[in-house]
Formats: sequence, C-alpha cells, structure tokens
Amino acid sequence: MSDQESGMPVEIVMIEDDEGHAQLIERNIRRAGVSNKLTPFTNGTSALSYLFGPDGQGTVHAKRSLLILLDLNLPDMSGVDILTKVKANVHIKRSPVVVLTTTDDQTEIQRCYDLGANVYITKPVNYENFANAIRQLGLFLSVIQVPKNE
Amino acid sequence: MSLFSWVNVLPAGRRTVLLLASAVLVLAGLVGASLWMVGETYNRTGELDRAQRVLDSASQVLGEIRDAETGQRGYLLTQDPAYLDPYRSAAAALNEQLDALDASAPSADKGVVQKARQLINAKMLELQRTIDLTKNGKVSEAIDRVRTGRGKILMDDLRSTLLPLTDRARGNVRANLEATRANVTWIAIATGLGALVIVLLTGISVILSVRQIRGLEAAQKEIRSLNEGLEQRVLDRTSALTQANDEIQRFAYIVSHDLRSPLVNVMGFTSEIEAAVAPIEEHFAAPEDDKKLEGARTALAEVPDSLKFIRQATGRMDRLINAILKLAREGRRELVPEHVKLDTLLEGVIGAVQHQVTEAGAEIKLAPTYLDVVSDRIALEQVFGNLVDNAVKYLADGRPGRISLSGRRRFGKVEITVEDNGRGIAPQDLERVFELFRRAGVQDKPGEGIGLAHTRALVRRLGGNITLTSDLGVGTRFIVELPNVLEGSGVG
Repeated sequence: MSDQESGMPVEIVMIEDDEGHAQLIERNIRRAGVSNKLTPFTNGTSALSYLFGPDGQGTVHAKRSLLILLDLNLPDMSGVDILTKVKANVHIKRSPVVVLTTTDDQTEIQRCYDLGANVYITKPVNYENFANAIRQLGLFLSVIQVPKNE
Repeated sequence: MSLFSWVNVLPAGRRTVLLLASAVLVLAGLVGASLWMVGETYNRTGELDRAQRVLDSASQVLGEIRDAETGQRGYLLTQDPAYLDPYRSAAAALNEQLDALDASAPSADKGVVQKARQLINAKMLELQRTIDLTKNGKVSEAIDRVRTGRGKILMDDLRSTLLPLTDRARGNVRANLEATRANVTWIAIATGLGALVIVLLTGISVILSVRQIRGLEAAQKEIRSLNEGLEQRVLDRTSALTQANDEIQRFAYIVSHDLRSPLVNVMGFTSEIEAAVAPIEEHFAAPEDDKKLEGARTALAEVPDSLKFIRQATGRMDRLINAILKLAREGRRELVPEHVKLDTLLEGVIGAVQHQVTEAGAEIKLAPTYLDVVSDRIALEQVFGNLVDNAVKYLADGRPGRISLSGRRRFGKVEITVEDNGRGIAPQDLERVFELFRRAGVQDKPGEGIGLAHTRALVRRLGGNITLTSDLGVGTRFIVELPNVLEGSGVG
C-alpha cells in the first residue's frame, strides 16, 4: 500500500498473541499481494514499548506511516488500553487501527469505534470467511492512503 | 405500701382508669362537702340575720319609747303641741316594731316579748295619762305623776326584760359569725385539697400517658431501624448476587472466547492443509511441469507449521477445559473444618517457598499472629500458598524483595495480610488479575492465569473475602478476610 508521499512504505504493526492467528493473518495478507513490512507482537507490553519508543512519547514514529492490526484479547492487558493510548498520542494517533478479534459483543464494538478504531472485524471460526475477510483487508490495504504521522 | 401493691399488677390501661375513678370520687366528695358547707353557711347567715334583726328591733323599740318620752317631757315643760308630734309618730311606730321583734325573736324568747309588750303598753298608758293631764291644763298633776317615778320604773323593767333577749341575740351573732368563719375556712381547705388532688392525679395521668407514648415511640423507632436494617441486608444480598452474576457473565465470556480462539486455528489450519492438497495433486497429475512442482513444494512447506499450530491449539483447548474442570471440582470438594493455628500453617507455607526466596535474594517474614481459626486446612494452604507464590514470582528487579505476612482479629473475623514490595499491579488491572485465564503486567514469568481466580473462589467458599491494593512499581497487598468459624461446621 502507498502513503501520501511515495517512497515511504507503510509498516503494518500486528498485535496478536496467538501465533496461529498471526500466521493465518500474515499468510492471507501476503496472498492479497500486500508486501509491506509486518512487525508482529504477541503481547501488549512489547507492542506499546515499540509504538511509543524509547522516550515513551512515540517520537520514534513521527513522520512515519503505521497501520495497526489489533487483537483485543491480549494476555497482559486489554487491547482497548492500547487503542486508547495510541489515539491519545499526538505522533501516532493518525495511524489507522483495525481491530480483529473473536468477540462480536455489540457493546465492545461500539466502544472501540467510540475510542477511535477505524475498522472492527470479527474473526469468524469459519475459515473461509476469515480468509476472505483478511484478503479483503489486504485488498483494502492495497488501495487506501495511509496518512503520515506528525 | 403493700396495701396498694396490687395496683402495680394491673395492666397500664386499667391502672389509669382506676386512678381516674378515684380522682372523680375524691373530687365528688370534696365538692359535696363544699356544697354542704355552703348550705350551712346559708343557714348561719340566716340565723345571723334573725339575731341582728332582734337587736335592731329591740333597740328601735327602746328608741321609739325614748322619743315618745322626749315628746312627753317637752310637752309637759312647754305645753307646745309641736312636741306631741314625735310622741304620736313614736306611738304609732311602736306596734310595728314590736311585731317585728316578735317575729324575729326565737321561740324561746316569745314570753319575754310578751312581757315587754305588756310593759310597753303600761308605759305608753302612763305617758298618755300625763299628756292628757297636761292637755287639760293640769300640768302640775302631770309633773307629780312623773315624779312618782312609775314611768322610770317601767322603763327599767323593760330594759331588764329585754336584756337577756338582746344578750342572747348578741351571743347568737357572735356564734354564727364564728361558725361562718369556720365554714368558710373549711370550704377553702376543701377547695385547696380538691385542687391538690386534681393536680396530683393530672400529674400521674400525664406521667402514665407520656410513658405510654414513649413506649410507642420506642417501638416505632425499633421497627424503623429494623426496616432499615432489613433494607440494607436486602441491598447487600442483592449486590452480592449482582456481583456473582456479573462474574458468571464474565466467566462465560472468557471461557467461550478462550475456547473459540484455538478453534479458529484448528479450523484455519485444517483448511490451509486442505488447500495445500490441490497443488500437490496437480503436480502428481503433471509431474513434468516445473511450475506445478514449485507450487507443490511451496504448499508442502507450509504443512508442518499448520500441523504444529493445530496441535498447539488442541493442546490449549485441552488445558483450558482441564483448568475449568479443576475449578469446578474444587468447588465441589467438601470442606473439612478443624482448629487451625494460623502461625503454624503460615510458617509451613513460607517453608515451602524458602528455597526460591533465598535464591532470588529476597526475604520473607511472618509476624506472629497468635490467632486460631476453624476452617478447612487444605483450602487455607492453597490460598496462602498461591499468594506467597505470586509474591515470590512477581518481585521487582533492582531491589531486594521483602514479603511479609501478618494477621489480626476484627469484629468476629480474622484478617491476614500478604504484603510485598514487588512490581505491583496497575489500577485498571486490579480486577483483571482475579479473572480466569487473565494476567497483567510484563509477561516474563510462566503461568496460565488460573491462580488468583482459584484462590478467590476458594476464599469465598470459606465464607470470606479477598481484597487487593497495589501501587505499580511499589508493591502489592492482599488481605484475606475469614470468619472465625467456618459455617456449617459441627466444631466449636
């Protein structure tokens, strides 16, 4: 996928604790033709320290473009925490957040949208649909413009 | 006052009626007495009046005679008929006065009055004689008659006759006055007594009424406080139920979610493997085709990973189900209450982790509690074992770990504290750490996220409660509250 200025690739940050899910997601993204760098994390703590950088302020990602794939159910914290923190930080709040999770609780979905999630996708157990969803996402990712961070 | 002790046996209502009845009786008596006295006073006043009239009439009589005498004397001296006027008017009035005297004199003195009348008649006759003589010019004869002193003798007789009458009348007056004064005094006394009785009995009635009202108010207050107590208890139970319900909901959510997650992998990777079959079949169908060979190789390369993930996922589901079953089983195990010396039990728990503690360069201490409790020993060991394990597991790097155990008794409960200076728990995770399969903070230690969930369930089964306070980066404190005696036990 491209970003507003050519030459600066968008990095996909995938925060998913289940390695199996991470594999499935990555395989299907690649099948959709998306070749961007994919940085996986299996827990919230390490993801946050990557996103906010060594100074904890997110300056490391200033002027960069990120896309975040977020699972809500992480072992050490709720993905909602990460969503809130990301959307509150001036440097990374522009990064689109795609919430991928097994929950289809309406309240949860509303809450994520209220907190600034850009897309919410339920991981269906039916693999066909799941693979399709990821592939659509990949296609979607291949055409959207990801804004650059401040 | 044993004579009236039976009064106290009566119920309050009857007592009041009895009091009021006696009040009415006493008052009736006093009023009757007063009325009787008033009647007496009327009588006395009547007597007084009569006696007064006697005196009055007597003196009037004497006065009229003197007037007559004066007229007679004057006429005798001057022969002026003007002096006969007083004589005539006196003579005329005399009978009236005598009748009045007769009327008011007591029956005992009727004889006296009779005699007085005779004397008076004689006297008037005498006076008339002298006046007649003078009228006829026989003045000196008249004077001679006067000189005989007959008139004077008659007057003296009259006076002495009337004296006992007037004396008796005066005596009557005095006596009646005295009697009236006495009566009035009695009336005053009776009224005063009456007032006193009224005041006394009103006072007693008021006291009894106030007591009754107070009794009613106290009863009302008690009902109100019981009501409030009841409402509070209902609220407590409801909140406990709501909490339990919320936990069940959360539990159901977690369980379904945590089981669904591995299922996604199983379904996903089986489909992946299924998808890998096609290119391989195509290769076998056209073995010379290099592209198909490449396709088959790529597909096959991914299969081991797929299988690995499937195995991992099913393994995880198995562990999850086992953990849930274990929790359910623990919930069903029968609790065996017995006398437990807390210090002995806690020292045992500490002993079990002493090795790890020393290795980690930390220290663990128990402040002797000297407390006993009746509860299930195994459950207590599991609870405190878990808490101490966690304390050792989640120490903070960079400072020597210090874990302390203490306890105290409060309001029929026992409170045991496990405190550490480890890495602490963030405020948003204070409830999360108790949730099944959930953990918090940096994930650098092994664990399934089952320990605290199990511990809390167990503490609740023991009839107690577990609370947690913590400061991220500073330390954590768990407080386990237990009843002194495990309910349902036959011990103690």
